[in-house]
Amino acid sequence: MQFSTRLNKAYSFLDDRTGLKTILRRSLDEPIRGGARWAYVFGSALLLLFVVQALTGIFLTMYYVPSADHAHVSVAYIQKAVPGGALLRGLHYYGSSAMILLLIIHLSQTFLFGAYKQKRELVWILGSFLFLVILCFAFTGQLLPWDQEAYFGTKVGTSIAGEVPLIGRLQQRILLGGTEVTSSTLSRFFMVHVFLLPLAVLFLSVLHVYLFRHAGPAGPFHHRADHRVDRFYPKQLFKDSVFFLFVFAVLVTVSTLAPAGLGPQARPGSDFLARPPWYFLPLFQLLKYFSGPLTLVPTVVLPALIFLTLFLLPFIDRNQERNPLKRPLATTALALLLMGGGSLVFLAKHQDKTNPTFSAQLRRQDDLAKRFLKTEFRAQEVSPSQLSAISNVHPPKAFTETCALCHGDSAEGNDLGPSLLGVTEKPNRTKEDLLKILDNPPAYGLKDPMPESFPDLSTDDKRLIVNWLVNLNNSDSASLLER
Amino acid sequence: MNRQAVRMACEVEPFQEFKENESRSELDQRGPAVSQERRTLLGILTGLIGVGITSLLGITLGRFSIVPALAATSASDWIDAGRLDAVPNGKPKKQTVLVAQNAGWGRFTAEQSVWLIRSGEEVKVFSSVCPHLGCTITENPNGFGCVCHNSAWTRDGTTSAGPAPRGMDQLEHKVEDGILKVKYQTFKQGLPEKVVTS
Repeated sequence: MQFSTRLNKAYSFLDDRTGLKTILRRSLDEPIRGGARWAYVFGSALLLLFVVQALTGIFLTMYYVPSADHAHVSVAYIQKAVPGGALLRGLHYYGSSAMILLLIIHLSQTFLFGAYKQKRELVWILGSFLFLVILCFAFTGQLLPWDQEAYFGTKVGTSIAGEVPLIGRLQQRILLGGTEVTSSTLSRFFMVHVFLLPLAVLFLSVLHVYLFRHAGPAGPFHHRADHRVDRFYPKQLFKDSVFFLFVFAVLVTVSTLAPAGLGPQARPGSDFLARPPWYFLPLFQLLKYFSGPLTLVPTVVLPALIFLTLFLLPFIDRNQERNPLKRPLATTALALLLMGGGSLVFLAKHQDKTNPTFSAQLRRQDDLAKRFLKTEFRAQEVSPSQLSAISNVHPPKAFTETCALCHGDSAEGNDLGPSLLGVTEKPNRTKEDLLKILDNPPAYGLKDPMPESFPDLSTDDKRLIVNWLVNLNNSDSASLLER
Repeated sequence: MNRQAVRMACEVEPFQEFKENESRSELDQRGPAVSQERRTLLGILTGLIGVGITSLLGITLGRFSIVPALAATSASDWIDAGRLDAVPNGKPKKQTVLVAQNAGWGRFTAEQSVWLIRSGEEVKVFSSVCPHLGCTITENPNGFGCVCHNSAWTRDGTTSAGPAPRGMDQLEHKVEDGILKVKYQTFKQGLPEKVVTS
């Protein structure tokens, strides 16, 4: 028997039992009124991008640990040590931005072309819900790496949720799993990000696509090309694939040239200038203009208004006209919203750039994150006896605030700075030397990232730090950590 | 080319009046919009794009999952197994040893156990991992046994019963300043000979 005959037989066998032929016919031969267009590629690209996000996300959990004491090191391991890890995490990291960008385009286009009209109201409403779910994805995903940006971003974000009248405090507690950003917060953000939201997207997007297919594509708003009918396969599918190839290629390139960001591990006590990702910048910028009870305008009123309008739009706008030029109010509203959002993003960036204090601090944070990313991966020592030995020796507050970021919580060192355990046994590192180093690091040949001076440390602080270091070196914990 | 052929080429994309809210079956009746040839070419190109993206993703996911699994978990360093004079003469002693394990992002310390048998200054160190399927070997009146599948060994580690393919695995050891040091290793299961897993 010939191969093609066998293939046909196998196909009929499957078709008899599954109805595969009908399913394929219905989905691939979908008529597209007005012909296939590049303008229609965004919805498919979003669906495919979500598949990529799901795949990369699933595999990232192979090494990721959702616990405050291992999350950061496990992400650093993925980023720096696992083959393909940087690319995989880059795709997931930049993929989230790409999803929101494509969502804004998809939503704006559907709005502009009036494609939510003529029995497509439910498609639109489901799409609006999907938008909300994707924003939740971005918010919960941000915390997972547990670096400085993750921690402080979530701290601010959940505080905003706490500002909502009546339910705010309870809402914040439920988000945090307590009163502060802790390992409990990480656990619940992880659960929501990895289990709950994907289920929601799966359900909503299947329904969204089904209802869209049921109503059929709206076609061009001007009806000029309506005499043409293309099938989904091959013309539209081809255009969709070419565009997605472009999106994917951009993501791969960006992930390779500018690896996904990962700064040093979160340090709750440190002063960190938290800046949200670009899609939350409009909200961030608005917060600067409203104070007191008016803070509710950008945090609650405006988002609520925008989403309520989104959900109710097909019922508010009953006009059957789809041409954007003949719907001046709708078109102007969208233009204003997009320009407003864009200006706020620009203003936020601009103000940070022109403010010398902020720009210096942001640059410092950025440098630190870049340096952390470049240093070689170091596995975490996990052993109960060692951990308890370290935690028994409390470092002075001044050490925790000034030195710990680079030298570790208990002077055990990290990717940014060397361990200070056993430092007194090295040449030129007597107790007196250490005190002098804190007064003038360059005099001992210490260079950046060691600061040139410590203006925030009093003489007492310095003495406390040095005493603690010397004691630490004499105690058992030093020898334990030497292993 | 004659007129007839030109007209036929034009009719590939049928011209019809637009109707508001036209149903799918009505749209379907307008017939195929593209020629079979174009269908095949675009189909192949679409397929190539799909295969390209899927393979890049697939290879990356594969490397990501498999390569770290090929690294050795434990470095076979000499580890402490206690003082030699604490081992009773002629009676098996179960000794806990702390083995460093590399597990991706972390270095863990696992508690493993070995069996020690001393006769005078001579000492034998056996792994407590059954060479059959990896259960833990315990002591029994005649020597050692594995409760999982009823393998049994005499006190010198020779198989006396059960499905175990070889005797108990002996571990390299040395004595330094009265301290017994063991080279902790694991061996491939199910083989008649002892092969170190690496």
